[in-house]
Amino acid sequence: MITFREFAKTFAGVHAVHDLSFVVEPGEVVALLGPNGSGKTTSIKAAAGLIRPSRGTVLIGEPGRPSTEAAARQACSFLPQRVTFPESLTGREVAEFYCRLRGRGADRIQEVMALTGLNGSSARAVGTYSGGMTQRLGLAVAMAAQAPILLLDEPTAALDPDGTCAFYALVESRRAHQQTVLFSSHQMGDVERLADRFAVLVEGRLVASFTARELTTHLADRGVMKVTVEELPHDALTSVRSLAPKAVVAADQIIVPGAASVRLAVLDVLREHGVGIRGWSAEEGRLDAFYRELVGEAR
Amino acid sequence: MASATVPTLTLVRLCAMQELRLSVRSRWTQIFAVVFAGLALAVAASGYVLSGGSGLQDFSRTAASLVELVLILVPLTALVFGVMALTPDAGAAELLYSQPVPRPTILLGKLAGLCLALVASQAVGFGAAGLLLFWRSGADGVMGFIGVVAGSFVLTAVFLALAAALTAGATSTRRAHHLAVALVLWFLAIVLFDVVALGVASLLRSGTASRLLMVAVIVNPVDAVRTATLLAVEGTTAFGAASLAFLRMTGGALGAGLYLAASVIAWVLLPLIVAVVRVRRADI
Repeated sequence: MITFREFAKTFAGVHAVHDLSFVVEPGEVVALLGPNGSGKTTSIKAAAGLIRPSRGTVLIGEPGRPSTEAAARQACSFLPQRVTFPESLTGREVAEFYCRLRGRGADRIQEVMALTGLNGSSARAVGTYSGGMTQRLGLAVAMAAQAPILLLDEPTAALDPDGTCAFYALVESRRAHQQTVLFSSHQMGDVERLADRFAVLVEGRLVASFTARELTTHLADRGVMKVTVEELPHDALTSVRSLAPKAVVAADQIIVPGAASVRLAVLDVLREHGVGIRGWSAEEGRLDAFYRELVGEAR
Repeated sequence: MASATVPTLTLVRLCAMQELRLSVRSRWTQIFAVVFAGLALAVAASGYVLSGGSGLQDFSRTAASLVELVLILVPLTALVFGVMALTPDAGAAELLYSQPVPRPTILLGKLAGLCLALVASQAVGFGAAGLLLFWRSGADGVMGFIGVVAGSFVLTAVFLALAAALTAGATSTRRAHHLAVALVLWFLAIVLFDVVALGVASLLRSGTASRLLMVAVIVNPVDAVRTATLLAVEGTTAFGAASLAFLRMTGGALGAGLYLAASVIAWVLLPLIVAVVRVRRADI
């Protein structure tokens, strides 16, 4: 469990995060969304114990311990946005060092190196790794820690498709073991696929928080239906507009935005008026559009 | 799944060994070893060259000539090496300090590893030169030479601690700034401090001036190491007025040694305390 309680952080007079109160429950996979500079990294780093709150607290576990305590960090494994390692060390030496700092043997290293696709490169110096391989090594270190809470700051930003798959596998395995994941991302595909819950930060403030089920409803409400008709009598159009005021007619097509129930009702009305329907299509709202809407409203 | 609790000393050792491994693989550490060896041999050879002869001086003469070079170069290398190593890339620092290890433990471990690496580099460099001197000139005055090398180790510890106080919790984004401050610090300790102390003393009455210079010997770690090393190499014969006054005030060589030891210990401990406080408070 991660508890942000009125967490606020100010850097040289600039407010990075304002009074963030938010709980990540055990076993939840939570995505932090927000534009650049919205406080995502600051919040995740505060949970990792790297940033001291200017006000409020960030607690880890239950009963909560301040994240700045080393004992609290035993429960967390953090992967920074742009992880780097000393170039003269090999991948295996890096992973071994971090395992030993947590009092773990090196027995899992082979496994996590294989999972992250680095098995053939573990004896090579990190200086010879590409950016994506370095990020995968960071993922391997995070996996080897076997901590019950995983904190990931834009984990897929530098990953290729194989690395992204390894990341998905990591999060899915955490979910299967009822472990907690808090991650930030600008990749809406990752977010939609992985998260149980979404928190949107804008200019350091939490502007929205919803579960995956609530997101489905939000997106359904923002769906669009396109109906191609043979002819549209005036009274039928009036009835459509009464149900869906934002409906637009373009040539022989009616575009109806809104909730699935509204769209179905429009189809029924058209049929009641005997309108010939040549075809229709519908698509649900998209997370990126919904996200932009939330950000736009908050600004 | 809970991890085993790792004893603090084991954590310090892990961090120290990691830093030592990095330093040993660093080209700079290897260059330092070669430079120290070259320096000691050049000093040993130059004495006779300047007087028109050839060959190597004995340990005593080499040590006496080497002291000033050590006092200039070792603080500089320790400060620069310390700043470079203690200001890692942000991504590396974030990963390291997010581990369940108290920050001071990480810092002290890294410092211990750095100190070991630099001391080993000096030991290899001076040791190689020392072997050559022993082969060509015998063991006369070897204790003085060892004294210079020991002074070099002490200066390394002092200036690494100062580098830690300067950079604690910082990352590579501030490296250039910290390097600039380190160079100013080095200039202050090596050049400006003595110039100012002597300048001020020349304006004061004799007794007050002596006391000021005595205090100056203890306050500046470079002067403290210089005085202690000269005491070890040549006894009181190489002492100037300030050092002699200091010797009188402290009641002889033993008393002076204790004061000087206390000074350098304080110059290691105080910066370390500052470093620990700063790293605890830092946002990384």
